[in-house]
Amino acid sequence: MATVSLSNITKSFGNIEIVHGIDLEIRSGEFVVLLGPSGCGKTTTLRMVAGLENISGGMLKIGGRVVNEIAPKDRKIAMVFQNYALYPHMTVRQNMAFALKPQKMTVAAIDAKVREVAEIVGLEELLERKPAQLSGGQRQRVAMGRALVRTPEVFLFDEPLSNLDAKLRTQMRLEIQKLHRRLKTTSIYVTHDQIEAMTLADRIVIMRDGRIEQIGAPREVFSHPKNVFVATFIGSPSMNLLPMRVTRANEGCALASGTIVLPLPLKNDHQVREGQEVLLGVRPNFIRLASKPALTGNPYEFEARAEVVELLGADGLVALRLGEHELIAQVDESVLPEPDAKIWVGFDAARLHVFDRASGDKIL
Amino acid sequence: MADYARRRSLKIAGIFLLPALVVLFVTTIFPLLYSFNLSFRQFNLAKPFIPRIFVGLQNYKTLLQDNGFYHSLFVTFKVMVVAISVEFVLGFALALLLTQKLRGMGFIRTLFMIPMMMSSIVVSLIWLFLYFPGMGYLNYFLNFLHVADVPWITGENVALYSIALVDIWQWTPFVMLGIAAGLQSLPQEPLEAAMVDGNSRLQVLTHLTIPQLKPILASLFFLRAIDCFKIYDVIFVLTKGGPGDSTESLSFYIYREGFTLWQMGFGAAASFVALIIMTVLITLFIRTIKEEEPRAA
Amino acid sequence: MDRKTPLEKALIYLTALVVGVIFLFPLYIALSSAFKPDIDMFARPPVWIFRPIWDNFIALFTVRRFQDNIWNSTVVATGSTVLSVFVGSLAAYALTRLKHPRMKDVAFWILSIRMFPPIAVVIPYYILLRDIGLLDTPWALILVYSTGNIPLTVWLMRGFFQGVPESLEEAAQVDGHGVWAIFWRVALPLAAPGLAVCAMFCFIFSWNEFLFAFMLTSSKTQTVTVAVMSFWSSDAIEWGRIMAGSIVIVIPVIIFVFACQRFLVKGLTMGSVK
Repeated sequence: MATVSLSNITKSFGNIEIVHGIDLEIRSGEFVVLLGPSGCGKTTTLRMVAGLENISGGMLKIGGRVVNEIAPKDRKIAMVFQNYALYPHMTVRQNMAFALKPQKMTVAAIDAKVREVAEIVGLEELLERKPAQLSGGQRQRVAMGRALVRTPEVFLFDEPLSNLDAKLRTQMRLEIQKLHRRLKTTSIYVTHDQIEAMTLADRIVIMRDGRIEQIGAPREVFSHPKNVFVATFIGSPSMNLLPMRVTRANEGCALASGTIVLPLPLKNDHQVREGQEVLLGVRPNFIRLASKPALTGNPYEFEARAEVVELLGADGLVALRLGEHELIAQVDESVLPEPDAKIWVGFDAARLHVFDRASGDKIL
Repeated sequence: MADYARRRSLKIAGIFLLPALVVLFVTTIFPLLYSFNLSFRQFNLAKPFIPRIFVGLQNYKTLLQDNGFYHSLFVTFKVMVVAISVEFVLGFALALLLTQKLRGMGFIRTLFMIPMMMSSIVVSLIWLFLYFPGMGYLNYFLNFLHVADVPWITGENVALYSIALVDIWQWTPFVMLGIAAGLQSLPQEPLEAAMVDGNSRLQVLTHLTIPQLKPILASLFFLRAIDCFKIYDVIFVLTKGGPGDSTESLSFYIYREGFTLWQMGFGAAASFVALIIMTVLITLFIRTIKEEEPRAA
Repeated sequence: MDRKTPLEKALIYLTALVVGVIFLFPLYIALSSAFKPDIDMFARPPVWIFRPIWDNFIALFTVRRFQDNIWNSTVVATGSTVLSVFVGSLAAYALTRLKHPRMKDVAFWILSIRMFPPIAVVIPYYILLRDIGLLDTPWALILVYSTGNIPLTVWLMRGFFQGVPESLEEAAQVDGHGVWAIFWRVALPLAAPGLAVCAMFCFIFSWNEFLFAFMLTSSKTQTVTVAVMSFWSSDAIEWGRIMAGSIVIVIPVIIFVFACQRFLVKGLTMGSVK
């Protein structure tokens, strides 16, 4: 299995630079997800690793070898495309065999390999069918089988699940996970779906506008987002952001907004200034709701009003009005309040995030 | 660009594009250059042993001073205007008719394709049969309706319209099909919404449908104009430019001067001027289209 | 908006019928005249019901040896079609996949060739072919018709190749297939319907053509269109044979039109409904 190394990779079309200096080291056997909104450059970056796009600047290494000038076919990679790119005029067997043709293997060897891979992805029964006769999930598996058949050192996935419906997507996610655990091939996976990223990745690379915003394991980017963009992109429902101002920068800081005042547990006081405009980040899942405050005098509990209540099943969403702020909370259905009811809202101090409003960067 | 990518592009260009370019180059540029050379010489095909002496711009001068040349341009444009305007009006009406979602309309549309797929020589011969003075059936039917004989191809003022009529018969289906395809490609919801809002069918047609069809109408017009400009076969069969020179189109003029009078040099010069006119018209047309596009986007 | 009253339906069918009759009437005249003896052809009032005779057709093939002309036309049309479809689809593929900004100009130049008035190039063709010695051989017309057929093929096939998703070709590229393999095994099979349409159009165009055939052939290589015109000589107009010959010329066209109805509209208007 190979390592992949991107050093200051840039991509320009004419005079317009769309990918600005990507640095990324991928370990052998690692499953890395490039995550970001459309147009952030993730697919372009993937295609540069594949060799389908020219690299405008920087150095790309696969397995320690510089591959900028090496054709895709010699890079020992395989790619699963978004629309599967299955040859409609060939059967499943032919689709997979076609990938091996340039390898100069004997017909028997190709056949054996195809059958072996068909078993791995569960397609033995469908070898003689044409893509048009297959379901979405089955086509997906053919696409993966076709990539597997060449035993590459790096797998590249270009949003392979975005054409599937939600249920199928969950199913295929598990399949991809199982496959990776079994084969341990270095993989680079592009998606705009943060759930896929969280469930599949060893590390997530969050990108925006051609730059990397943060790299980290799923747990880390979830609990310690570097900036507002990452914080709101990861996690569903997305993090609540409350605009506040820093007050009393001396004997411990606090954030204030209207009637709401929160003490800030900061180690160093000079991380903030008095009067600084910030955003307080609270994830909906870490908001406690109760009919009365748990502890009297708890500075992290406030009285609020539940405006809209939506039952989802085992849990529910509550739109809260706290002073002049609006929040969403996700709680167990047993504690769902009545609409328009007064309710006590509690924040977990350990799970609060503070971002500078201007730059979006994390302070706490 | 990475080396392997550049090599790939070159391979594609070389293997795939080159053969076509070579064939086309040999069959177009080469003859054109030859013709260009010829246009500056006096060359009588009937007397091939006389050397092709260089006469400079003589041929062009004679051409531009020849009334016959300008007359042929006039005839050509007149035919184009008459034929194309009728083809578009008729074609549009028929397209509206035949895009109705009724059974059998597809079959009828297919039948309509036949005239434009027929050889123009066959079409012309059949119309000759219909137009033939004293014997043709068209006049017979007119007599039946108590209308006097029409000198379709013998009347100086009528012949040109008879030529246009043949073109109309053969090519209205083409315009009709193009417009029908365009009509069917238009999104139906805005039109239905407009009708629900209370607009009459005519209003929907003029304010919504036609403006959206503009690019298609322009393309169809372009194609027809180019084809009609070249009109030759019909005239060759029906009138041979006559009576007098009332139906001598530009192509026929070149034919007569170059081939019947064997003055190849002159013919070549006339051909070139025709090509230049064609190029100018095309460029003008494309420029007008290009101006329209930003607005449409 | 779609449901029509029976009256409206009837009106539409009636109008279509009337228009249909008007448009197909000349064809009918040709068809019926081909089976009439000369005297009946111009009879007034017209003979509507008659016993069809084959004399005109028989004369066509015995006296006039029309089969030779059919052979010549077939050779030329097939030759030009094969050459043009092959060369043209290769070029169309290149124009679709090459991303160079110049490609648009090349494409435009190729397509603009069809815009030349044929008469303007007949003179140089005649002289050049005569000098090379290819005049009056099938090659003359095969080459000349390719000038028209190659752009036609490029025009049609470009659309078809654009319909082949590039991801398919990229997948093959990543697997290591070369440029030709990708064209031959991936792009071309998926654009195959287009080839059939192209071939038909090229054949029909070559089959129907008159001007070049008239100028560039003589008795040995005379095509059907020139032959049928030759029945109109300074002595007489052999109407019977003209009509019979016309019907023979039109038959492939009618077969073609009905064989690929669906593709025709797409093909003919592809340039228009861009």
